[in-house]
Amino acid sequence: MPVWQQVYEEINDPDFVIICAAEDVGGEAVAGPIFDAANPTYIQVVDVDHIISSAFNFVNVPSSAWVDEQGRIVRIDEGTYSKTHAIGEGEQAITFGNDVYTPALKDWVTKGADSEFVQSAEEVTGNIRGHSFDQLKADAAFRLANLFRVHGRKEKAEVYWQMARELNPDSVNFIRQNLTLTEEGSAGETFMQLMGDYVSQGREYYRPLDL
Amino acid sequence: MAEAFMAYPELRHPFQETPIHPNGSATVLYQGRTITLSETGDGDNLLIKPEDLGRINGFELKPEGACYADMCIPLNDELLPTVEGEQWFDLTAFAGLLEQPCVVDREAGVWSFAEIPAKRRNMMVDAMAPEFEVTDRKGNVVRMADLKGKKALIVTWSSW
Repeated sequence: MPVWQQVYEEINDPDFVIICAAEDVGGEAVAGPIFDAANPTYIQVVDVDHIISSAFNFVNVPSSAWVDEQGRIVRIDEGTYSKTHAIGEGEQAITFGNDVYTPALKDWVTKGADSEFVQSAEEVTGNIRGHSFDQLKADAAFRLANLFRVHGRKEKAEVYWQMARELNPDSVNFIRQNLTLTEEGSAGETFMQLMGDYVSQGREYYRPLDL
Repeated sequence: MAEAFMAYPELRHPFQETPIHPNGSATVLYQGRTITLSETGDGDNLLIKPEDLGRINGFELKPEGACYADMCIPLNDELLPTVEGEQWFDLTAFAGLLEQPCVVDREAGVWSFAEIPAKRRNMMVDAMAPEFEVTDRKGNVVRMADLKGKKALIVTWSSW
């Protein structure tokens, strides 16, 4: 998310990196201009195949992992907002995000293992979502769909995108990605219905923020 | 109906139909990479030339088996079948041993392999970050291993 550029500049530590991965099947055409508008200096990835989300078992965006100098994850899978955002104005405004995540991140970069926000390996592994055989298979189906799309085989692309959604119904990434490139878009009636079902089944698309 | 936004219907299928592997016999997808195989064996399973194994999934054929890091899978006639005097490596059977899911489109000759679960075991045991390899917008390959010695925030987002 381009707003991370400000955070990156404020931290300004040569031994701290941000990898920002856009999980857009629309690829560079969709994500590129948004990245460019932020003039980012961190590492930018257009992750059409959701390699990052799959590696860390994320089901939604924005999600993140903090990884220390030894390659150990010290926090994972939280709704990752750099600040409180507002859409609209006045009584119609909808707010989301929070103002506690960025200070916690800065504390970790400064203090390392002494930061109160570092979690133990046991806590972290407890917070990593499972990734079953079917969920892994969904990743393979999703990437197959993307290949067919790039080669103009749209009927096959639709078949395998649908397969991915059915194999991993927990993935909001698959639900929304599939809708983003439609007339209705990713926040229309279909999305509201799907997310209503998702929440009513007791599933969490963000782990509760524990800061 | 709720107002829709961030829709890109013109980008859903913008591409012209092109051959998937014009100079090969099969395509393998693994970890975001597309590997074209020039030659494959006949049959329901994906039979590859043994020398192609490494460029697909990083496994190396050694006397003790097909090995990656500290993991070695013993070889047998099922994994290394000989057909009409030619030796192949059965990638489908190998995936089965590794409990690695695969989605196949036989008509197109494409095998899409998911991640090998054993490669992720460390993340679930001691919270070590999983291996991944992506290419950034400047064309640089970014690997988890390259980040050693630095703190990293790895964050996903999307336009949706």
